[in-house]
Amino acid sequence: MSQTVLICDDAIFMRTMIGDILTQSGFTIVGEAETGVQAIDRYKQLQPDLVTMDIVMPDMGGIDAVREITRIDPEARILMCSAMGQQALVVEAIQAGARDFVVKPFQPSRVLEAVQRVIG
Amino acid sequence: MDLARYAELFLTESREHLSTINHLLLELERAPSASEPVTAIFRSVHTIKGMSATMGYAAVAALSHEMETLLDRVRQRRLPVTPELLDTLFAAADALDRTIEEGAQAGPEDADVAAVVGRLRAIGGAESGLAVRRTADAGSGEATGQLVRVLLEPETPLRGARAFLIVKRAESLGRVHSVAPPLEALQAEEFDRVFTLRIDTVVDRATIERTIRSVGSVEQVLVEQAVVTSAEPVDTSRQAGVPAVARRARHVRMDLRRLDNMMNLIGELVIMRGRLAQLTRPVEDPPLHDAMDQASRLIGELQGEIMLSRMVPVWQVFDRFPRLVRDSARSSGKEVELIVEGKEIELDRSMLDEIGDPVMHLLRNAIDHGIETPAERTQAGKPPSGRLTLTASREKSSVVVRVTDDGHGIDRARVLEKARRLGLVDDGKAELTDDELIRMIGRPGFSTAKQITDLSGRGVGIDVVYTRVRALGGSVEIKTVAGAGTTVTMRLPVTLAIVRALLATVGEATYAVPITHVRETVSLERTRARTVRGAEVLPLREEVLPLIRFRKLLDMPAADHLGMQVIVLEAGDRRLGLIVDELTGQQDIVVKQFDAARGSAAIFSGATILPDGSPALILDVGSLL
Repeated sequence: MSQTVLICDDAIFMRTMIGDILTQSGFTIVGEAETGVQAIDRYKQLQPDLVTMDIVMPDMGGIDAVREITRIDPEARILMCSAMGQQALVVEAIQAGARDFVVKPFQPSRVLEAVQRVIG
Repeated sequence: MDLARYAELFLTESREHLSTINHLLLELERAPSASEPVTAIFRSVHTIKGMSATMGYAAVAALSHEMETLLDRVRQRRLPVTPELLDTLFAAADALDRTIEEGAQAGPEDADVAAVVGRLRAIGGAESGLAVRRTADAGSGEATGQLVRVLLEPETPLRGARAFLIVKRAESLGRVHSVAPPLEALQAEEFDRVFTLRIDTVVDRATIERTIRSVGSVEQVLVEQAVVTSAEPVDTSRQAGVPAVARRARHVRMDLRRLDNMMNLIGELVIMRGRLAQLTRPVEDPPLHDAMDQASRLIGELQGEIMLSRMVPVWQVFDRFPRLVRDSARSSGKEVELIVEGKEIELDRSMLDEIGDPVMHLLRNAIDHGIETPAERTQAGKPPSGRLTLTASREKSSVVVRVTDDGHGIDRARVLEKARRLGLVDDGKAELTDDELIRMIGRPGFSTAKQITDLSGRGVGIDVVYTRVRALGGSVEIKTVAGAGTTVTMRLPVTLAIVRALLATVGEATYAVPITHVRETVSLERTRARTVRGAEVLPLREEVLPLIRFRKLLDMPAADHLGMQVIVLEAGDRRLGLIVDELTGQQDIVVKQFDAARGSAAIFSGATILPDGSPALILDVGSLL
């Protein structure tokens, strides 16, 4: 069975793109979330193998969501999606429990490498 | 990766964010000390930046980056919100708007973009860089553990965060004593590609090397026995809240062309249903009729669903008006408060696209010609700030959009004088009613004449509005009170594409009358029609309705016979009776629009195809009332 992914990003543009990249490499997108709160709910419900998490999201940001998800499941594998210039936030996300990060603009190869590192 | 696939998504999503940005900027202008708008604007700009960089839209990315930098400083209270700052941000939002629409065509060398970027930087001031570079090295102090030297790949994105991740990973192997440059400097990316850390661990060098490489973006790892150590603490306690912002509901997105295609197809299907019904009617075959009825009902339901899926709330267009009003008011030296009501009212997408311009004209007119300057207003005993209200509401099957100002109203005397000069009214006419007024200034060319625009409360473009709204099958009314203001009311069908119509025959031809404007039908018994001062009228209950003979409008000979029908038309408070030969029923018709018609065709707004395949003209009720 292919690995399952939950994509969390408030921009449908980004969700579509990440979804396409991962689907093409054989992953199954089992869910999407637009806010941190949604991300936590979906995580509990779907128990995906991988979570891609945007940092800046409404309701509850990605970092708080990472904190909460890793509290629920310390084994959660979360990949942060960040933009240039979000260094401090990425560091914070890693402290919160994120396993790795990719930087926008996304290059599919980099995204897949990071995913492999997180999953592997 | 084929980015073209994402271009559409980028555009829709960016437009939404831009609308949010403009709104929040206005909010910020009202309350410069509020922090929520800044945070929310920052987030929208940030999202646009991420998307545009991915799309390779250099101009958008450059602009949004500069905006973000400036907003970040505002967010941190390092820059005050001044009118100048707001103007700069508004200008930047405009440039962003343009470059987003242009997409890949706009380069970073675009003159306008460069100018805005310059302004953003100028107002942000010369930022003096981050903290002083720390140059501590892990090579001093006691000797213990393994010294790990890491070289990152060139062009590693977010080197600081990557280095941090490496340090984190190293901590899983043992105790990390010190990092050089220090962790804070690493996080802030204050290093080239090399850093070192010292670690107390039981695992062998190969494992250390493999673990560190597994973090990614590592070009080289050197592990050697450490000879010295320092007491640089590893700071992992940094915490900061990420702002939470209220959210608006989202829907599934769909390509508009697809929606339009669906609408066209269902339109054809509706016509075909009518045709089939007509063909099967004479056939004696109950199962066929059952099947026909069911198909008919299903087509009806499908049509309803498609129509609903095309409905969008008016705020999607109204949302840009606060900004427009602000800019117009500023440039004309007036103070205007815009109140928008009924934003949630829904209209068919095609209709909504069409009314944007007319509403914009009306708002501009109200500001330019209706609302007085603060000084004039004070003198007239009004509050210095003018009040402009834009309201959308549902009334029966139409949507009513109303623009009201509390300015000085339209100067009837001037309009009358001009109308007299043009020979549009009798010399003896002493006063114009509201209806006559709209008919005068709504004439193409009448109101655009210079002297009227300067003298009347309103003028420019009202004929444009009038023509446009009528072409959409709607009607326009004006009420104006000298010194107190003007209200323009537009009444529009909810959708452009398929409307319910009453079919009437006159002579050999069939005509369609949109049901939106039909109040009732009565059969004309000649005894009931009366003639008052040479005009035919129909007393109906408490009212006396003016009568119009359709045949006369078509220059056809009168053919009075029993059984003639009167369609009572209404728009707002106005009603009249239209005499037709016969009524042949109701029908959903698919509207094929005309361009603004002239001459005798001016009483028709479009055409449709009837179930029997013959064409029928659609009556423009607004033109009669």
